[in-house]
Amino acid sequence: MAAAALRPAILRRIRLSPSPSLALAAAGTGASHPHALGRWLARPMSSHDAHLTRDEVIDRILDVIKSHPKIDPSKVTPEAHFEKDLGLDSLDTVEVVMAIEEEFKLEIPDMEADKIDSLPLAIEYVANHPMAG
Amino acid sequence: MASTAGYLARRAAQKERVRLLYRRALKDTLNWAVHRHLFYQDASDLRDKFEANRHVDNLDVVDRLIDDAEAQYRNFQHPDPYIVPWAPGGTKFTRNPPPPQGIEIIYNYGKEDQ
Repeated sequence: MAAAALRPAILRRIRLSPSPSLALAAAGTGASHPHALGRWLARPMSSHDAHLTRDEVIDRILDVIKSHPKIDPSKVTPEAHFEKDLGLDSLDTVEVVMAIEEEFKLEIPDMEADKIDSLPLAIEYVANHPMAG
Repeated sequence: MASTAGYLARRAAQKERVRLLYRRALKDTLNWAVHRHLFYQDASDLRDKFEANRHVDNLDVVDRLIDDAEAQYRNFQHPDPYIVPWAPGGTKFTRNPPPPQGIEIIYNYGKEDQ
């Protein structure tokens, strides 16, 4: 009871006032580097705030596919089927889907990954995934 | 006719099991290797093991091979696999979740008891 009565007085005493030197330092930093603070604050959050556009997804997936050793880069189009058009077998398709997962930092459930057998399906999955980064 | 349909169904099931097994084994290969230059060699060795049995046609033999490979994989599983941060089990999962409906934060800044 006595402690509760004392609490407002204690809070009033230890409440800190803003320091003028701190304010001056902040102003100086702002003057010397415009938008530095905003840029620094945006960096840790950029991977999720900026959602990928469809064109960006297509470009990156095509890059992943073309760099696979068993694929002829000239045959890679956004409508290609992994087995029919690119000549991959089922295990190669598994490798390609895993490479796409690593490119976009995703974790695709096994059964869904098994269904991705063509580029349109891969593009659709990544473009619609909220956490693709 | 019935035997042909049964054959095709069984064949498709076996192919699916092989794909899933290869996928999981490849992921755990990366979990164990961690470094890319080690992973490439290990992944190549893993693929060679699968390729060695590419032309086996007898369904019973294929079933036995898959069972044996799955048993080997169970011994090979990594105890602490890499999980992407936002997925269940990852470091970011449910961090800073939105507060439940109906709960409200009041900002009185020390004036609560006055």
